[in-house]
Amino acid sequence: MRTGRLLTGTALALAAAGLPVAPAYAYAFGEDTGALEVYPSTVAPGAEVTVNTAKCGADGAMKGDASAVGAGAFTLTPSTHERNAVGRFRVPPSAQPGTYEIVARCSSGTRLTGDLRVALAPRAGAEKAADEQTHPRGSVKTGVGGPLGPDPVQTAAGVAALAVAAAGGTWLLHRRARGDGI
Amino acid sequence: MHRFSNAAIAAVTVVAFGSGAWLVRSGAEAHAPPQPSAAQSRADAHADRPAATPLPPSLPDRVRIPSIRVDAPLTGLGLTPQGGLDVPPASRRNLAGWYAGGATPGERGTAIVVGHVDNADGPAVFFRLGALEKADTIEISRRDGTVAVFSVDAVEVYDAHDFPDEKVYGASHEAELRVITCGGGYSEATGYRGNVVVFAHLASGG
Repeated sequence: MRTGRLLTGTALALAAAGLPVAPAYAYAFGEDTGALEVYPSTVAPGAEVTVNTAKCGADGAMKGDASAVGAGAFTLTPSTHERNAVGRFRVPPSAQPGTYEIVARCSSGTRLTGDLRVALAPRAGAEKAADEQTHPRGSVKTGVGGPLGPDPVQTAAGVAALAVAAAGGTWLLHRRARGDGI
Repeated sequence: MHRFSNAAIAAVTVVAFGSGAWLVRSGAEAHAPPQPSAAQSRADAHADRPAATPLPPSLPDRVRIPSIRVDAPLTGLGLTPQGGLDVPPASRRNLAGWYAGGATPGERGTAIVVGHVDNADGPAVFFRLGALEKADTIEISRRDGTVAVFSVDAVEVYDAHDFPDEKVYGASHEAELRVITCGGGYSEATGYRGNVVVFAHLASGG
């Protein structure tokens, strides 16, 4: 799913940039896993995240993609004194815990990735956080109950077995009454 | 010869009677999920709770409840647009979920685990939840390798129309757990009337 979205994103980015999709470029589109620094690397939903990298050099603005965590696209802008590009985005408050891949692309096409871990509510002052957490409301729908009435098949089997028992019992009583003995 | 066939018929009769009686009885009854008795209610909860020190937060992987033979993976759950707790996909019979917006099981706070009592095919992961009793244990294995062991304090049934949100979901300064499924009687028109809620506290972990 995520791969599909990334591939679509790549295709769209290429189309938008008007770049020819040629095999010669494929090499340049190498993936540099972990080259994107994500800080903090573990955050709570709702937090702001800073992303930076020096891998692209001073080659202008970069496109960032945090849609895996639901934050959409963002821009990384080069900072003047370092050869760093820096971008920011906010993790949506509704984000689920998990590890998400954040992607940025140099204007040369090199794809950089970094991992962002979303954990539960803020850890500093856990008690305060606990009060601020959103609690669910109401009951939960965890059953259908449809097939859970008396089981007709099992009941029918039971009735049949009882009929056999009745027949056997009657036959035995009948023999005994005739004095055949048991 | 007669002797032999009489003995055989007597044996068949006895077996048929026994199994027939059992089939009729269980066919009529065993398909309703067990419900907690009043003795498991919170009202008689007494304060002998040697609560363990809360664990650091860590995502949960599995829930085990040995006394009702539950051993199921856990999936993260969010809230519905109405603010209610989401539920795991009903098609997966042996899957439970935990509320990922709350405390992780074992850390300070109220962790919430939910699962289906049944689905369209029959009984599901928490079918027998209502049969839990005080002091039964619930184990939650976590991604940091620890197992949070909870001890049951009470098993309650609440009506959906009068659901005590604060009691069930409210914050706690200790490491607590709630395990929830459907229950409280069933009617064809409205489905299950409410929820079975298990209250438990962290007894040990590591």
